[in-house]
Amino acid sequence: MSTPTFVDTLPHWLRKRSSVIVIVLVVWVILATLLRGVDTLELSTATNTPVTEWFRELAASIRGSRSEAWIFIFVFNPIRAFIQGFVEVIRSVIAVPGSGDVIPVIGWLGVVALVGFIVYASSNWRTALLSMGLLTACGMLGVWIDTMDTLAMTMGSVLLSLAIALPIGIWAGLNDRFMAFIRPVLDLAQILPTLVYLAPLALVFLVGIAASTIATMIYSIPICVRITAHAIRSLKAGPIEASESMGSTRLQMLRKVQLPMARRTIILGINQTTLAALSFVVIAALIGAPGLGKPVIEALTIRNVGNGVVAGLAVVLLAVMLDRATTAAVQHSAEIPPEGDALIRRRIGLAAAAAATIGAIALSRYQLWAAVFPERLVIGSYIGNAADAVTDWITSNFYALTIGLNQNFTIHVLNRVEAVLADAPWYLTIIAISILAAIIGGRFVGVLSLVLLTGVVLIGLWNDAMVTLTQVLIATAIVMLIGVLLGVAAGRSPRVERALKPFLDAGQTLPAFVYLVPVLALFGPSRFAAIVCGVFYASPVVVRVVADGVRGVPKDMVEAAVSSGSSTTQVVTKVQLPASKKSLLLGANQGMIFVLAVVVIGGFVGAGGLGYLVIVGQSKPELQGKGLAAGLAIVLLGIVMDRIAQAGARRNEKQPT
Amino acid sequence: MTAVTAIDSQVQVDTDAAISVRGLWKVFGEDANSIIGSPEAHLSRPELLEKTGCVAAVRDVSFDVAKGEVFVVMGLSGSGKSTLVRCLTRLIEPTAGEVFFEGEDILTASKSRLRELRRTKFSMVFQHFGLLPHRRVIDNIAYPLEINGVGKDARYQRAREVIELVGLDGYANHFPEQLSGGMQQRVGLARALAVNPEVMFLDEPFSALDPLIRRDMQNEVKRLHKDLNKTMVFITHDLAEAMKLGDRIVIMRDGDIVQVGTPVDLVMKPVDDYVADFTKDIPKSHVLTMGALARAARADETVSADPVDADLIVRKAIPRIVNSTNPVGVVKGGATVGVVGRDDILHLIADDADEGSST
Repeated sequence: MSTPTFVDTLPHWLRKRSSVIVIVLVVWVILATLLRGVDTLELSTATNTPVTEWFRELAASIRGSRSEAWIFIFVFNPIRAFIQGFVEVIRSVIAVPGSGDVIPVIGWLGVVALVGFIVYASSNWRTALLSMGLLTACGMLGVWIDTMDTLAMTMGSVLLSLAIALPIGIWAGLNDRFMAFIRPVLDLAQILPTLVYLAPLALVFLVGIAASTIATMIYSIPICVRITAHAIRSLKAGPIEASESMGSTRLQMLRKVQLPMARRTIILGINQTTLAALSFVVIAALIGAPGLGKPVIEALTIRNVGNGVVAGLAVVLLAVMLDRATTAAVQHSAEIPPEGDALIRRRIGLAAAAAATIGAIALSRYQLWAAVFPERLVIGSYIGNAADAVTDWITSNFYALTIGLNQNFTIHVLNRVEAVLADAPWYLTIIAISILAAIIGGRFVGVLSLVLLTGVVLIGLWNDAMVTLTQVLIATAIVMLIGVLLGVAAGRSPRVERALKPFLDAGQTLPAFVYLVPVLALFGPSRFAAIVCGVFYASPVVVRVVADGVRGVPKDMVEAAVSSGSSTTQVVTKVQLPASKKSLLLGANQGMIFVLAVVVIGGFVGAGGLGYLVIVGQSKPELQGKGLAAGLAIVLLGIVMDRIAQAGARRNEKQPT
Repeated sequence: MTAVTAIDSQVQVDTDAAISVRGLWKVFGEDANSIIGSPEAHLSRPELLEKTGCVAAVRDVSFDVAKGEVFVVMGLSGSGKSTLVRCLTRLIEPTAGEVFFEGEDILTASKSRLRELRRTKFSMVFQHFGLLPHRRVIDNIAYPLEINGVGKDARYQRAREVIELVGLDGYANHFPEQLSGGMQQRVGLARALAVNPEVMFLDEPFSALDPLIRRDMQNEVKRLHKDLNKTMVFITHDLAEAMKLGDRIVIMRDGDIVQVGTPVDLVMKPVDDYVADFTKDIPKSHVLTMGALARAARADETVSADPVDADLIVRKAIPRIVNSTNPVGVVKGGATVGVVGRDDILHLIADDADEGSST
């Protein structure tokens, strides 16, 4: 039994939820227009509120106690030292020269060979060659050292994440109670936008390698735990029961049956963990992560498109390499091991590759051309200049499609929605959103929205939060439109799906950060640019979820509709979409969370709102409190949106009206 | 005549049962324990579910499995047969009752004792094989030896022996997914035989196989049973399979035992309409032995010179009898127990045809 909401007390004609929602929206827009400019709580960037002031003082006192408080001396500082030391070891091997040295332990040729060998050993020579080519291409872009730093940071974070996440994931897979215990944490981790971890961690662990590695771990561990637990939980019951019937101990069962059977999915989890870590390491440049993130941020700050494109391209190449290599390892793990001649050939191949790798490493230690990436192979500046030229050409020749589109959209859509959300009295907005939340998600969600949004007001960042919310809602609406159109097409036609697949894969592989560069180049610094980034980032996920949902509609249901003479449109609107409603709602939820994560990063490209405050707080000490408070406000906003969407999805399952 | 068989089985049970089950219950649901011994225990399944939210999968079941016999548990899906067989080795923990094996109550055995029994005395074959997909055939078969700490050479040697025994020669280095369903189940059989167990439990082992393969595998089990003389508890929902393989058959319905008996008992003396309905399509000539059909020779009859064995199934003796103008003698252990003539056979077949047409 669901708890009765106030909807149940209304007369029958009003009970249809959609009509109630429309009425609330209309009343809200009318009131907001009438009360425009009243009590908007707008605040200039440089002004602190009592709460942000309190956060600033808190930050100052944390900084002051770093060398005094016991929790720092016995907990945080040792953790920092350990993690920093761990990552530095990897860096010193491939990225930075040790003291008194000119090159790292292994020069570029050695690294390329070593990566090739590792990929070959874990999959096949084709992927190995591809990986070596992609790495060399990063060198040719002129960002070899930054690439190695990013690679070292990613590897360090991944190894530490796996060391923690695999045992936890396995335990969560075996033990229901432990799973129930950690599930809320995993759920929360999924909705936290990446940007909000950074400031608090930098405060505790200092700006630098340790803080950025820990932030990366916090981001990637839940992903790995989730997939590992799922891998164990979804195993076929038959072999496990058979093994039990033969008298296996629990340890034997885990070692000889469950882990080997779950291996493929667990390696898939490592693939996801690696890509998540890479995308985060790039963003973590904000709190001092060395590597490719730095030139991207610099390029974004001074609007240097050429440099940004070069660094962004290197990130993309690295992402493709890590993805291909780990995906190939997943496939390799499912293949039947070679035997006979094939096994001998494989062994000879491995031995030869090992010898070549050792040779290359030796060479890279004694020959300058093999140690430092040769200058004459670098073509990064040409690419940078070409990107600049292309950008100029597009913006001057296709003005209507770039700046013009931006301006029209901003005036006719963005400003109007923002007027309702941000330029109206704060209490009107809160009440309106809470009522909608109650209608969609039930009374509890309504009250939760009321409380959390009031919290945003108390923090003092209401207006900025509404600016961010505007962008999130508009971007989510566009994402859903794209998601339904492409998702239905892909779900209905394997051809469309095949055509879309590379884009969907790329969208899920690429770190959100690198979208900012071309979008900034085309549309200039603006709120619109942030929305475009959000749309690009979130669409692939939503398309995929919707396509899965449409494909999951039972075939006989569709056949029955077709055989009774439905047109294609009728099949889509009356059968496939209603039957995959759950996927649509799930897609909307995912889309919104993804959009939020990117829109706040849009603070870099002039999107304003909470994201901008977080970023400013990072660079201006007097605004640090405001940055932390903005992070908190983002979390509150994220929880409200997630709860409304989740509760809406659940209620829809219960009462299919 | 059939009474003799029933008494025979009674005698076997008391003297050397391999497994004795007494008052076994399995109730799924919360607070299942409180149901045993309460009045609710006698409610029908839907009533019990309605009243307590519990499902009684196995209800107060008692039987004995004789050493060396193939004991078939037969029932439709949901009758509790799979739960029952899992309760015997505690893959599912029974709610109440006793299961004796070599005088020891398995249900009170400690975890480690239970593990030891599973490693050395029992083995099981599953409907969906339950093979380890990441191991080659030989390593699947050697698995039970491996977990029992048998060294690599010894367990491979034993694995090769059973590979040959079940006709898997040449497949030792294949992975399960490379084999057909029938071959996979041969691996399952080999794995169950590897530890040379006292009792084998086979849970619908051939239900997932195509009919022709199923027949091959049934013959394989018959052959293995003849060669190795293992005690087998065989679960099936297929009456023909039960008749073909079972020395004795227990028919289950809604967790209760409806009837225990030899194939002949079930066909000739069904205890109720449920069993009769099951067995009516089974031609009597396919289950009755000549011994069961034999009658005393009438004074005016000349008995044919060449007698048949009392254990021979009627169907197989038909050509002999029909080709002989005189009734044929039936002998058991050298002594003549009676005769069977053309008319007797014709009456039996006419009975079968009658029941066939009434369906």
